[in-house]
Amino acid sequence: MIKVKLTDGQQDPLFEALIATAVDGIMVIDETATVQIYNKACERLFGYEAAEVVGRNVKMLMPAPYRDAHDGYVGHYVETREKHIIGIGREVVGLRKDATTFPMNLSVGEGYIGDLHIFVGIITDLSERQARDKRIQELQTEMWHVSRLTDMGQVAAGLAHELNQPLTAILNYTNAGRDIARESGDGDLETIFSKVAEQTSRAGNIIRRLRSFIEKREPNRLQEDLAKTIEEAIRLGMMDAADRNIHLELKAEPALPAALIDRTQIQQVVINLMKNAAEAMEHSPRRQMTVTVRAVSPDFLQVAVADTGPGLDKEIADKLFQPFMTTKKTGMGMGLNICRGIVEAHGGRLWAEDNPGGGTVFRFNVPVAKEADEA
Amino acid sequence: MSARETICVVDDDLDVRDSLALLLKRSDFHVRCFASAREFLEAGPPAEKSCVLADVRMPEMDGLELQREIGKRWPHLPVVIMTGHGDVPMAVKAMRAGAIDFLEKPFEKPALIEAIKRALAHDGAAAERNAAPRVDPREALTEREFEVFQLLVEGHQNKMVAHKLNISVRTAEAHRANLMGKLKARNLADLVRLSIFGD
Repeated sequence: MIKVKLTDGQQDPLFEALIATAVDGIMVIDETATVQIYNKACERLFGYEAAEVVGRNVKMLMPAPYRDAHDGYVGHYVETREKHIIGIGREVVGLRKDATTFPMNLSVGEGYIGDLHIFVGIITDLSERQARDKRIQELQTEMWHVSRLTDMGQVAAGLAHELNQPLTAILNYTNAGRDIARESGDGDLETIFSKVAEQTSRAGNIIRRLRSFIEKREPNRLQEDLAKTIEEAIRLGMMDAADRNIHLELKAEPALPAALIDRTQIQQVVINLMKNAAEAMEHSPRRQMTVTVRAVSPDFLQVAVADTGPGLDKEIADKLFQPFMTTKKTGMGMGLNICRGIVEAHGGRLWAEDNPGGGTVFRFNVPVAKEADEA
Repeated sequence: MSARETICVVDDDLDVRDSLALLLKRSDFHVRCFASAREFLEAGPPAEKSCVLADVRMPEMDGLELQREIGKRWPHLPVVIMTGHGDVPMAVKAMRAGAIDFLEKPFEKPALIEAIKRALAHDGAAAERNAAPRVDPREALTEREFEVFQLLVEGHQNKMVAHKLNISVRTAEAHRANLMGKLKARNLADLVRLSIFGD
C-alpha cells in the first residue's frame, strides 16, 4: 500500500491491517481522480502493483469509453454535487493490466481528511458470480436437453410396447390366414398374406431401430450426496419460488449415507415434482413447499415433495402416472410417467399420497450405495 | 398325431391371445388362454403334455414372477417368454429362472413353432438340460469375446457393451458375430442358454 498525502509517516497499524487484509478492493482517489490508496486486493484484481497506480489517474483502470468520460464525471460532481454513483454502488467493468476486462461491483463513498476531499471505492469482483450464473444456465440447458432425450426415449419405449401388441396380433392372424390360403390352394391369397406378414415385420423392425436409436443415454449412476443433489435441484428449478410467493423449505436428515443415483436424472425428477407442486398451489392462500430427504431403511433413502395445494381428486389420483394424462392446458402429460420411469430404473418407487395438513406429497425412494457399487 | 399338446397362452392383451390361439390351433395344438398370471396359476396346468407361452410384461404379476411360481409348483412345466424390445434383460432373467426360450414381439410363425417344439421336447428338470451337448464359452472364446458374451447374456445391447468395454460399437458387433459363430448360437436366447448351462 502506498500513501501519498494521506498520512505523514504516522501509520496506524490497525488501519494498515484493515486495508491490507480486506478481501474487496479498496481504493481512494482525490478530486483530481488521482489514486491515493490502492490495497493488496486491488493488486490481485487489476494485476497492477500499487507503485504502478498510486499517483496516477484512476482512469487507467477503466476500459474505453468510461476511461475518457471519467475525468468529466469527477469534475462535474465537484462542481455541481449531483450524485450519480456516490453513496450507492453499481456494476461496472474494470480493465486489468493485461488488457482484459472483468465485471465488478463498485461502491463509492466520499469524505474529507482535513481539507482533502476524497472518494473511497470498494470493489467486488463479479467474474466468479457471473461464471456461476453461467454454470447454472448451462446446467439448466443440459437438464433440458437430457429431459428432451429422456422424454423421447420414454415416449418411444411406451409407443414400442403399445404398438408391439397389435403388431404381434396382426402377424399372428396373417400367418394363420396364409396357412388357410395355402391349404385351400389359393396362391394369390397366400402371396398377399405373405406380403402383409412382411410389411408387419418391417413395421416391427422400424420400432426396434427407433428404440435403439434413441436409447440409451446410459444412466450414469454414481455415489452421490442426495441432500446436496436435491439442494442443487432446488436452486436450479425453483429460482422463482420467492416471486411466486412460495415458501420453500428443505429438510434433510444429517449424515445420510451416499445414494447410488444418476444425479441429473434425479434432479430432473425433483424439479418436475416441484414444478407440479408450485402449479398446484397457484391459487392457494398458503403456499408452503417442503422437500424432505431422509433414510427409510438401511437400503433406501426417500425424497418427499409436499405442497399445500388443493390435493388430488380420487379420479385423477388413479391415473396420475399414465402417459398422456394431464390436468394442464399445455403439456403432454408425460412428466410423472417419465419421473416414475427414472425412479424405477434406479430400483426405487414413486407414489403420491395426501398431505395430512391438506395438499399432496409425492415420495420416491432411491437406493443407498453399497461398498460394491464403487466399481 | 396322437395326444395333442396344449399351449397355455398367458397375455393380458386380448387380441394377442386370440391371434395366438388361432395360429396355434391351425398348427394342431390345443390352446388355452389366460388373461393374467393369476388366472393361470389358479387353473393350474392341464393334465396332458403342455407348455406355457407367457408375456413378460403384465400388470400385477409379470412373466418373470409367473416363471418363478411355476418353477416352484410345477418344475417340469416348460415356459417360453414373450417380450417387447425393451424387455430383453427381463427375458434373460426369466431364462435364468428356468424359462426355455424367449421370443421378441412381433415374431414370425417359424420362430414361434420352433420355440414351442423345443419347450415341449424339453422334459422338465434342469438337470437333464445339462446333458445337452454344449460348447463351454469360457474355453471356446477369447478373453475379450467372453467379456462381450457375459454382457450380452445380461441383456446389454451392442451399444452398451461397447460403452462398458470402451470399444467401438462396430468392434462390439464384430465380437458378437464371432462368438455367436464359435458357440453355434443363432440368437440371444441360445447364448443365455449356454451361459446358464455353463454355470
